[in-house]
Amino acid sequence: MARESRPLDATPRAASADPVSNFRRSLLQTPGSQRRPQGGLSASGRKIAPPTATPHARAAFRTIDSRRAAIFTPHRARRKSVREARDSPRDLLLGLGRVLAKKTEPIVTSSSSPGDTPNHNPNRSDDDDDSHQTTLGPLHMSYDDDDDADIPKRPRLSLPIDREDDSGSDDLVPHRSVLLDNEDNFTMQSVEMPRRAYSEGPGGRLSMNSTRMSDFFNTNDMLHSEDFGRESGMFPPINVMEEEEEGTFSMADIMSPERLEDGRRETGHESDFGIHVPVDMDDQTSFVINPEVQSSPARQPPDLDEPEYNDFAPMEDARSDSYDGGGMDNDGVDNFGDFGDLPDMDMDDEDPDNAPNETTRMTAGNVTETEVLTHAQRAELRAAAAARKKRINISKHGIEYPSLPAAMVKRLAQNFAKTSGAKGRIAPDAMNAIMQASEWFFEQLGEDLEAYSKHAGRNTINESDVITLMRRYVLASAFVYCTIYVTGQRQINSQTTPFALASRHLPRELLQDLRMPPPVLSKKRRKASGGAVPAGEEDVSVT
Amino acid sequence: MPGQKLYPRATVKKIVKAHSNCSVSKNADVMIFLDYMLFMQNLVKEASIEAKKGGERGITARSVKKVTADSLAKFKG
Repeated sequence: MARESRPLDATPRAASADPVSNFRRSLLQTPGSQRRPQGGLSASGRKIAPPTATPHARAAFRTIDSRRAAIFTPHRARRKSVREARDSPRDLLLGLGRVLAKKTEPIVTSSSSPGDTPNHNPNRSDDDDDSHQTTLGPLHMSYDDDDDADIPKRPRLSLPIDREDDSGSDDLVPHRSVLLDNEDNFTMQSVEMPRRAYSEGPGGRLSMNSTRMSDFFNTNDMLHSEDFGRESGMFPPINVMEEEEEGTFSMADIMSPERLEDGRRETGHESDFGIHVPVDMDDQTSFVINPEVQSSPARQPPDLDEPEYNDFAPMEDARSDSYDGGGMDNDGVDNFGDFGDLPDMDMDDEDPDNAPNETTRMTAGNVTETEVLTHAQRAELRAAAAARKKRINISKHGIEYPSLPAAMVKRLAQNFAKTSGAKGRIAPDAMNAIMQASEWFFEQLGEDLEAYSKHAGRNTINESDVITLMRRYVLASAFVYCTIYVTGQRQINSQTTPFALASRHLPRELLQDLRMPPPVLSKKRRKASGGAVPAGEEDVSVT
Repeated sequence: MPGQKLYPRATVKKIVKAHSNCSVSKNADVMIFLDYMLFMQNLVKEASIEAKKGGERGITARSVKKVTADSLAKFKG
């Protein structure tokens, strides 16, 4: 069949030089519509170019033959056999099939009785008769069968098989073969074919629908006709699918109701899809939306909190690092320092060679304590720094007071640092710490002086209160050093009086102020000097 | 030091007044400042010792903070 149609098609197609598409097309043609071949067939089934064929047509046939040779390679024996079957005249086979179908007996099913087959066979040619007789036949036979056996009739599986045979009995054998041939050939040839055919352009489709010949010349009309006609008739779901996809994507990606509303606003039909999808997805969308809503606020609070921790964290690290760098010995010394011993004692008694176990034990607790202290100190330092910037310090009594001038404190600290042999170098952060310490000192001193003056029944702080305070300090230091300077206490007495300290530390004009009120000062001096103590005073001032 | 004022007397008086909620007698601030100088001396000395132990050059905030509590406790009435 295919070969028969080729000569006819080949001549007009020679210009297009696309024989393969022609071959496929010929296969698709119905057998009845085909004309008898004008050209002769070779013994192998190949067409011989008709005598009327132009040189182009001959070239086309040559290419066809070469392609066939390439396509039907020996390893495709199965398809080759199919091709041969197809090559055999179809009408003959159809006629043979019809002739044989009347004579051949269909396969006897389990349910069907032998009596059915003769009734069916002659009537298969006509569908109407088959339907009537099949219905009648089984009924009669069913009566007969009832007597014989009820069991084989029970299974209804056999009935649909019979119906199929009845309805499609005529076309079954030839149809399958033809369909298989066409499909196989189509797939085989489609490997190379369709690209050229489409690249050819509209020409490929001319044969498909002759009515559109006019359209091809007017591209605009063609486009419009194809677009509108197909979309309206065949591919309305395309738009729907696209819309649905867009809607689903928007839904999946962004679950916010605002986007949904936007989608509805944009397109009317899409809105329907958009609405329907969320309704179905209600549970899922709600679950998806909630975590997002919760997550965003959950992130913000840590952001607010983190900076504070970040501020604290490096300080802790710095402290811990310094501890680590300092080593065990320092920590051990610090522990004793915490117990209230003076640094000199620490230096003398505590040499770097300490029992490591004790130091390690102490370090753990000490580090934690110091860290806690550092935390508190940090906070207070910050508050103090902020207050210092504002220049407004308020005591616990609610009285505003100025802060000591940093320059004065620095000068004092540098002078004392030089005397203590530290080269007078003080880092700025150390100055801040010293300022904080001095502030605390004055706060503590004010409270103590207040307590002394109130105890004395006065509302004014006198030098006596201050000297009492100093004597207490001197006493404390004297108790610490008593073991060392027991013998030297009274000798040093004269130099450890507050006046002696003042003469050593204070400038002359301030000493004059101290001396100006002779009675008061003399009293204080007597009291201070008369006090049994001040042995360590000299050491503290000197060292 | 000669032409320079050692410390602002009025400021010290105000500070002590504010903290003690009491009036300060005429020359008590001198003794107060003397006490403060002793405190500073103690603080800086111990801070320098601490810095030497820690292998630091000069006095740092760490050393000062480490000895502040002790110095304050030592000078508490």
